[in-house]
Amino acid sequence: MVDVNEALTRQVAALARLELSENEVKTFSSQLSQIIKYVEKLQEVDVKGVEPLSHPIDLPTPLRPDVVLASPTDLEGKPKVLQAAPEVLYDGFKVPPIL
Amino acid sequence: MANLSSFRTVRDVHSAFESKKISPVELTQDYLNAAKKSEIGAYLTICEDVALQQARAAEALIQRQGRVPCLEYPLLGIPLGIKDNLNMDGVKTTCASKMLENYVAPYTATCVSRLQKSGAVTLGKLNLDEFAMGGSNENSAFGPVRHPTHPDRVPGGSSGGSAAAVRANLCFGSLGSDTGGSIRLPASYCGVVGMKPTYGRVSRFGLVAFASSLDQVGPFAQTVEDAALLMDVMSGYDPLDSTSIPQEKMNTYAATQTAPEWSQIRIGVPKEYFVGGLTPAVEQSIQASLKWFEKQGAQLVPISLPHTEYAVSVYYVVAVSEASSNLARYDGIRFGMRPAASDQAKDLNDFYMKSRSLFGPEVKRRIILGTFALSSGYSEAYFQRACQVRRKIVGDFNDAFQKVDLIVGPVSPTTAFKLGEKSSDPLKMYLNDIFTIPANLAGLPALSVPCGIDEEGLPIGLHLMAAPFQEDRLVSAAHAFQNGSLFGKV
Repeated sequence: MVDVNEALTRQVAALARLELSENEVKTFSSQLSQIIKYVEKLQEVDVKGVEPLSHPIDLPTPLRPDVVLASPTDLEGKPKVLQAAPEVLYDGFKVPPIL
Repeated sequence: MANLSSFRTVRDVHSAFESKKISPVELTQDYLNAAKKSEIGAYLTICEDVALQQARAAEALIQRQGRVPCLEYPLLGIPLGIKDNLNMDGVKTTCASKMLENYVAPYTATCVSRLQKSGAVTLGKLNLDEFAMGGSNENSAFGPVRHPTHPDRVPGGSSGGSAAAVRANLCFGSLGSDTGGSIRLPASYCGVVGMKPTYGRVSRFGLVAFASSLDQVGPFAQTVEDAALLMDVMSGYDPLDSTSIPQEKMNTYAATQTAPEWSQIRIGVPKEYFVGGLTPAVEQSIQASLKWFEKQGAQLVPISLPHTEYAVSVYYVVAVSEASSNLARYDGIRFGMRPAASDQAKDLNDFYMKSRSLFGPEVKRRIILGTFALSSGYSEAYFQRACQVRRKIVGDFNDAFQKVDLIVGPVSPTTAFKLGEKSSDPLKMYLNDIFTIPANLAGLPALSVPCGIDEEGLPIGLHLMAAPFQEDRLVSAAHAFQNGSLFGKV
């Protein structure tokens, strides 16, 4: 049984690149501890020799021809994908200098 | 303004178009007005211009042809609402998250474009729990949706806006997505029909991913017949979704046109679904519904799904693990909001941290839980074990469907609960999904059809599940139930 303490919550949050406030660390720790305690139930099941199932249907991965297609553009000919960008510079995504 | 509640089926609307009782533009305008006036919070974006343009095109076509060409355009002039985690070109897809508050989709989801090509009018985007994570629609960053008839109650989630809007006549039908019950639960709470297809039937292209092995898009409507019609239009292979099953479009609508051969139908009643926890009103309604099926000549077969008690645990490991991976893409670089603090970040890690602070608490909680379940040292005990038990749950269904054609039970142990009642206790909220989750884990088709009301007038939903690809059976039995039983008419 895992002890979900505040240190573990902080550590996992950091792995997920989530910044938590002190309050969030407290609340999440106790909630996660409760949830993880509940899912411990899974340890009761005899799963010896059972292949893990990660997907409900069994389909081969379809491949398409390796051809470059043009990015959809708007009326001005700009790539539409830039419409959703936080910041744009010419035809590219603008990011702060640390990147 | 027309009385919108007088139209129960697409057929009613089409005959009103043909007899000139109402025109497609008038109908769309009426729904738009209703949507704008409503205070239940069902809509996040109303697409007035697009909708009216589509309605005018429908009107012109009907005028030209002198009738509704319903073979080519089965949804001509039918106003629909779309859950705001499905893309529509040029319209915001917010997922009810601050993270995507300004995100304008550059393309349309396959399921939505198929509806549009069938003549449907898309009125706007409907509220949901943030990234479809929740069972009450209280997790929306833009405010909760209220229950359409009991404003102090929740509509259910995560497709709360989709269910509430149909019930409140703010759209004729709608689309939702179902990862662990997100269509069927709100359908049950709001007293409408909600259907989840077999995994792979409807393309996920353009659906914002939550848990990719569980997510499916499905319809809401007042009737089983119309839910089937929407399903049929959306279904069929899509090369843009690698998990789309290479099959023709479905024709489940046909299954509503002939009466079921009741003597051939075996209905499984899982003992694990009736072991307490149901409120008396829910229990009574479900039992009465089962009796109705028996009276028609169907055979009720007691069955066992022995791993039911593990379903919630499996789900809350698998779904959150997939979510933690899917939501890693929100980094504030190419799309989504970038808070001012991100620009002051001291390094790349810090930039991610600042940008990702826009997630709401339930999303953060699930990302952390999923990251934990997949992390080194824990993944074997949690993720892998959950996947093993998932196979056991699928095995239960395989065994059961050797003996029965349908499995029937409750959608939820209770009717719609009060706003705020469960929001501080995530585990309590999760346990509410006990009856809907197994269908997602096994990829089964399932639907919720109204089967009664409790002492406060809150709707109760009957849950039907079938073996993969047996949507016909599901739709045929549910349609007969809705039209034939007294309880089906809420």
